[in-house]
Amino acid sequence: MIVLNSSDGATFEVEESVAVQSQTIKHMIEDNCADTSIPLPNVNGVTLARVLEYIKKHAEAKDDEEGLKSFDAEFVKVDQASLFEIILAANYLDIKGLLDLTCQTVADQIKDLTVEEVRAIFNIMNDFTPEEEAKLRNDHAWAFE
Amino acid sequence: MASNGNDGDIKSSFSFSDFPEDVQICILSFLDQSELGTFASTSKRFLSLCRHDQRLWFSMCDRRWGRSKTLINKWGNGKISYKLLYKTLLEYENLIGFWRRCGTSAGTAVQPSSPLVFFEWGPFYITGSRVSPSKTRTYEVIKLPFLWISLTSKGESINYLDPEGKLELSENLVDSGELSVLDNDLIPVNVSFMGKCHVVLEESVISIGNSLNSSSSPNGRFIKVHSSGNVRGKEYEDVSGSPGSLPDRLMSEIYQHFANRTSPGGNGSSRRQRRKEKEKQGRRKLEPEHFVKIVNCSPTPARPLQGLWKGIGDDMSLEFYLTSYDDIGGIACRRIEDSSRPFNGYNPVFWTSSTTLIEPPFSAEEEYEYHSRVHLRPPAEADDCHDHLQRSDHGAVSRMLHMTSSYDLVIPGTTINPRQVEGRIWQYRNGTYGFGFLRNNYVIDLKHIAQDGHLLDTMEFSND
Repeated sequence: MIVLNSSDGATFEVEESVAVQSQTIKHMIEDNCADTSIPLPNVNGVTLARVLEYIKKHAEAKDDEEGLKSFDAEFVKVDQASLFEIILAANYLDIKGLLDLTCQTVADQIKDLTVEEVRAIFNIMNDFTPEEEAKLRNDHAWAFE
Repeated sequence: MASNGNDGDIKSSFSFSDFPEDVQICILSFLDQSELGTFASTSKRFLSLCRHDQRLWFSMCDRRWGRSKTLINKWGNGKISYKLLYKTLLEYENLIGFWRRCGTSAGTAVQPSSPLVFFEWGPFYITGSRVSPSKTRTYEVIKLPFLWISLTSKGESINYLDPEGKLELSENLVDSGELSVLDNDLIPVNVSFMGKCHVVLEESVISIGNSLNSSSSPNGRFIKVHSSGNVRGKEYEDVSGSPGSLPDRLMSEIYQHFANRTSPGGNGSSRRQRRKEKEKQGRRKLEPEHFVKIVNCSPTPARPLQGLWKGIGDDMSLEFYLTSYDDIGGIACRRIEDSSRPFNGYNPVFWTSSTTLIEPPFSAEEEYEYHSRVHLRPPAEADDCHDHLQRSDHGAVSRMLHMTSSYDLVIPGTTINPRQVEGRIWQYRNGTYGFGFLRNNYVIDLKHIAQDGHLLDTMEFSND
């Protein structure tokens, strides 16, 4: 069993075979940094719990494609802030499947939004002048020629 | 309105820019071109990212066509602009699948011309192959690659017709421009898309600088592929202003020279180029070939009989069949054959006016009708098999259909004995089906020609 410590002091036990879905953890184990426990200063307790939920499910139900699909669909039904935390954790822990899943979820959100809505949701500062912005609106295709 | 997160509400002040760049690219790589346009319009930084970031466009290509289909990092010898590659592959992916050549065509002496053509992904190109039934009296098909579609590292189309099927492409070869010098049988061609279902292959305009002793080429002559290889864009990239120039100093200097002679504005060079092109028209070796896409080449749950199939016909040779559902609620099946035969390669086999398959249990008469028949098999197989084995490899009959008419015997003006024209279609548990006519006592069993984008039972075809 591997012990993981979150940034806010929470402790989690997980089997090594499950934990190595995280390439980061896998390398730490290989480099013998995992004697007692592995500190994960970039992930808080709540997020780490969710991530572990994901990798445990994907380890135990590996061949059940349908089941995993519905699990994944439910898994990403969280609020925006939590989703972003999971993305950062998946990136730090290098769990490809989780990163792809969560990034796709965010991308799916972008698909239906207008430019203003995207700015609002993602707190992007509009640094175009009104003229520049008008031009962009007019020839969208131009941006990709 | 953009929120700045300082107003003390519970809304997250997290910004997209707070994601590490790799993550930003991962998220954006799930979008398509127009969705990316929305995101690009949010700020200058993201406009630049979306327009120029090679990693982003590489990921977009890879997600869409990489891994199982083609190797994105090998196109254009790994040096291509991935944004350009994305736009190109978006167009090219429409080629994948089965097409039918229109009109007649002289095949080569060795390879009879087959109207069926199959396009598939290669590691850094797309190949078109002619597909024809083998003459070996088995289910094997002959697949002869004849067309190679690829890109140089500058994103120029480079397509070759290879009538003898001899070419083996490597990444370096595509880029070096030496392909045509190597093998005189290769013909550079343009591939033009007329909408989604029609493609035209035309021989490319070739410029031969025979009179120039360029040391850059081993034979003392160089052949160029017209750089606007596809109709979708005309690129004027050379300084001299002549369309589709070779990246060769000597050539462009010559054009400059002639341009200056005729008129100050450089119109002379383009006039001259046009005249040269007109001369070349007369020297084309190849007639343009037209291809029409065969849509619906696979069965679906709603249309289980639809698609391209192959079967051993009553002359014991392998043939291709295309079954399609028409607009008036019927199904028609046609043979696809060498176009030198009558009806231009599209011979009708049967049709039925209803698509509703009948579920078991079947009447005793129908059972007898089916079980009393012989399944036409490749001669080699027939010798080995016991009777019961013949039926079990495709499973029991799951559903059946009355066939209203076969085309062969409908002679206008004569009274038709229903038994002459009627037949049956038997759908098997493994998803294939067989058919037979009441006037004879055998079943023609159909098998899939392709599965998961790959041709089945292909055999090597050697020209020598």
